[in-house]
Amino acid sequence: MIDFDQIDKLIHEKGRLSIMTLLSTRGEWAFQDLKSELGMSDGNLITHLRTLATAGYIKETRDESGTRPRTSYELTAAGRTAFQNYVEVLGEIVKAAQQT
Amino acid sequence: MSTTEAALENLRIIRSLMEKAHIYRAVSAPAALTGGLLAILASTWPVQHALAHQHEVLMGETIFLVVWLVILGIASALNVALLAKEAARRSQPFVSEGMRMALRAFAPPMIVGGVVGIGLILFLHNLTLAALIWVLCYGLALLATAGFSPRSLVRLGWAFVIAGLVLFIVWAATSDIRLLSSDEAPAAAVMGLTFGMLHVVYALAVFFSRKPAEVTAQ
Repeated sequence: MIDFDQIDKLIHEKGRLSIMTLLSTRGEWAFQDLKSELGMSDGNLITHLRTLATAGYIKETRDESGTRPRTSYELTAAGRTAFQNYVEVLGEIVKAAQQT
Repeated sequence: MSTTEAALENLRIIRSLMEKAHIYRAVSAPAALTGGLLAILASTWPVQHALAHQHEVLMGETIFLVVWLVILGIASALNVALLAKEAARRSQPFVSEGMRMALRAFAPPMIVGGVVGIGLILFLHNLTLAALIWVLCYGLALLATAGFSPRSLVRLGWAFVIAGLVLFIVWAATSDIRLLSSDEAPAAAVMGLTFGMLHVVYALAVFFSRKPAEVTAQ
């Protein structure tokens, strides 16, 4: 029996899930890359990134050494674990549905 | 939407985004395979010639340099063409912020390796050391992109650095090889073993690895 409370509500939202998925595929993503890949507005993306950063799932890095400042994001260890757990719970839900 | 439907929908999102993020890896594999096979072909000839005619020079330093620059040009042009095609298919700019970031990290070791290697060939007539410098600098360039590259490229970078260091020690410790009248064969062997074999192994690993779609579908 699956405990649906196991689902991480923070990641379960589509926008944040998309961000977490992209960040899980490689080390670091620039803000502009996330924006163009996900097709989100600046405001929407920033809001989701802040929520994930507040939860300790992602880390923000600002590089101001170039002509234009660049902000990039990466998963923290806690974020990676949370994402893996989330995917596992989704898999269990689907498996349980197939068995019924 | 039921919990199961939401779970399926979210798994679909994860699968589709992971596929997109792995495109560079998939796109880069044919260029790696082409470059690798050309490198093996170009290195086999001088090695075979040296085994048959030990003291005879086959191509000379300038031709050696031109051959490898042509192979670099072909592999790079193919890589750029495949990336441009993929960017056009996805209606995205070819030079993205990610590509700029990768080039900023990749360029310095490549420039250093390129200039030092060419200098070693043209002025110090040392082909093997030039080949070793190219191998090491290419490996370091790949590792410089570690923060935002797929793990397979980082592994390829480590493979180049480790192979370069091992081959350097072997070359430095073996005076019979270092003091050959022509070092075309050892230089070609270094290029074939690294730029040839490692790129072919990388490309095959990409072709035969499980795609993200298969992983998330399970």
